[in-house]
Amino acid sequence: MLEIRHLRSGYGRVTVLWDVSLTFREGTLTTIVGPNGAGKTTLLKTLAGLIPYEGDIRLGGEPLRGKAWDLAERGIILVPEGRMVFRDMSVEENLSLGAYPRRCRAAFASNLERVYSLFPRLKERHGQLAGSLSGGEAQMLAIGRGLMSMPRILLIDEPSLGLAPVIVKEVFDIIRRLKEEAITIVLVEQNTHIAVGVADDVHLMRSGRVLLSEPAANVDLDRLHDLYLAREAQSA
Amino acid sequence: MSSHVPSVSRPSSWPSSIVFVGIALVLAALPLAAGAGNYFLGLLISALILAGISLAWALLGNLGGMVSFGHAAFFGVGSYASALLSAKLGLPVLLSVPLAGVIAVGASLLMIPALRLSGPYFALAILAYSQIFRILATELSWLTGGAAGFQAIPQLPTVLGLDLASRSGSYVLLVVVVALCALVYALVRRSLVGTALRAIADSEDATRVVGVNSMLLKAWMLALSAFITGVFGALNAHIIGFLEPDYAFSGVWSVLPIIAAIFGGYRTTFGPIGGAVIIYLFDQVVAKSIIAVGHQILLGFLLAAMILLAPNGLLGLAERFLKGRRDAEA
Repeated sequence: MLEIRHLRSGYGRVTVLWDVSLTFREGTLTTIVGPNGAGKTTLLKTLAGLIPYEGDIRLGGEPLRGKAWDLAERGIILVPEGRMVFRDMSVEENLSLGAYPRRCRAAFASNLERVYSLFPRLKERHGQLAGSLSGGEAQMLAIGRGLMSMPRILLIDEPSLGLAPVIVKEVFDIIRRLKEEAITIVLVEQNTHIAVGVADDVHLMRSGRVLLSEPAANVDLDRLHDLYLAREAQSA
Repeated sequence: MSSHVPSVSRPSSWPSSIVFVGIALVLAALPLAAGAGNYFLGLLISALILAGISLAWALLGNLGGMVSFGHAAFFGVGSYASALLSAKLGLPVLLSVPLAGVIAVGASLLMIPALRLSGPYFALAILAYSQIFRILATELSWLTGGAAGFQAIPQLPTVLGLDLASRSGSYVLLVVVVALCALVYALVRRSLVGTALRAIADSEDATRVVGVNSMLLKAWMLALSAFITGVFGALNAHIIGFLEPDYAFSGVWSVLPIIAAIFGGYRTTFGPIGGAVIIYLFDQVVAKSIIAVGHQILLGFLLAAMILLAPNGLLGLAERFLKGRRDAEA
């Protein structure tokens, strides 16, 4: 279980997250939705150790502190927004870097096999430069690279960004399969409809705060959208 | 392996590197077999020293993504360290040489704050930093002999019946040390760490996400590069037997390796070595006979021509040629 209490973080003197407290249950998928600038990506980056923070983050009761590489060793793996694959390297080299954390190196071959069976397209293109992949393939590569790191908690940032609907569906089918494998997943998504569909828990963030936390089954999409757009409605 | 997918040739795949190793060995043995005179062996020895620094420079540039204008610092520190350890403390030369490499690593540790800088900022920081050591070597005259220079540096010893201080002995030693450094370079590069280092050059942010401690890896590469450069500085000191600050810390030791590595192809393992030998011999044999004073200007022309005609350097050109032949056969 991953718990965060009174989390405050941001970039230099700009605070983005104000006092965020959330709990991510083990083996479940938590979706975080919210408009642009809500702090969703900042939350994931903070969890991944890329940004310093104040507050308390605990994994299974133990405090979680450290740089991104320490957290990767402990199984907190970020699949960043906009893919961030290594463009000048082949698909397979990208995947091999996913296995960079020491605890993942021994199981490299079997993990590679698994990623290729999840994403046959990546196997077909294993020798191709990542920079020449389509958007959907690059997103699959980013997720595949994350899986090579044997995640205990997988943080996925906006996987649908800029993808055609049919590809989005394909990506979410994979996310659904990962959930079935009992990987704890934190998903940040703007596409509320599909994101709430795969989730166990849903949180709505706006302006660096959590506005609503509900089990996915109870989420009323209309009400969610009203809250989502509330500020715009008020200022109109 | 599906054959229709365009596949990327990995850097230095085994078959072509075996070809290059073979060529390099034959070339290295040639001067001895042909009974080259002392003058020519002396030129080759200097060329191999330059080759070692070029290799170290290219390692930092290619694997660490850092352009250094300050390798003269590591070279000079290595020279003085080994000379002083052997002459003043009486350490055996074969011990003082690797220790000099370690001391050069110590000097590079002071550079670690500059690793936060990238591109031209790092290059300028290390350029300024390298001046510190020249000044130290001049001012600490009680230790180094100051500007008057430092003489009476012990010679290389005789090992297994081979007098390393003789021209042919020094030559063999340098061929072996250069080959060892090239081997270390190739091994680092083919390892997962090498892949991670190339990824840092691609996108440092993304490497953090996959759990690569990029600062640590870059620091390691700086240390390795400084070690190799220091060792060659030390060997050079024992071979020539005389040091002065303006020589040991001369900008030449920063600039010539850059020219050699870029000329030969700094992204390859053998490029910097071949580049150094060709550049040095060209400079000493051809350029000097054309323009006695200021002959280095011809190196500038040579480098400019190379960058225009083959931006990947001599080895890139050779690889393209070999590949073209192979594709034509297929």
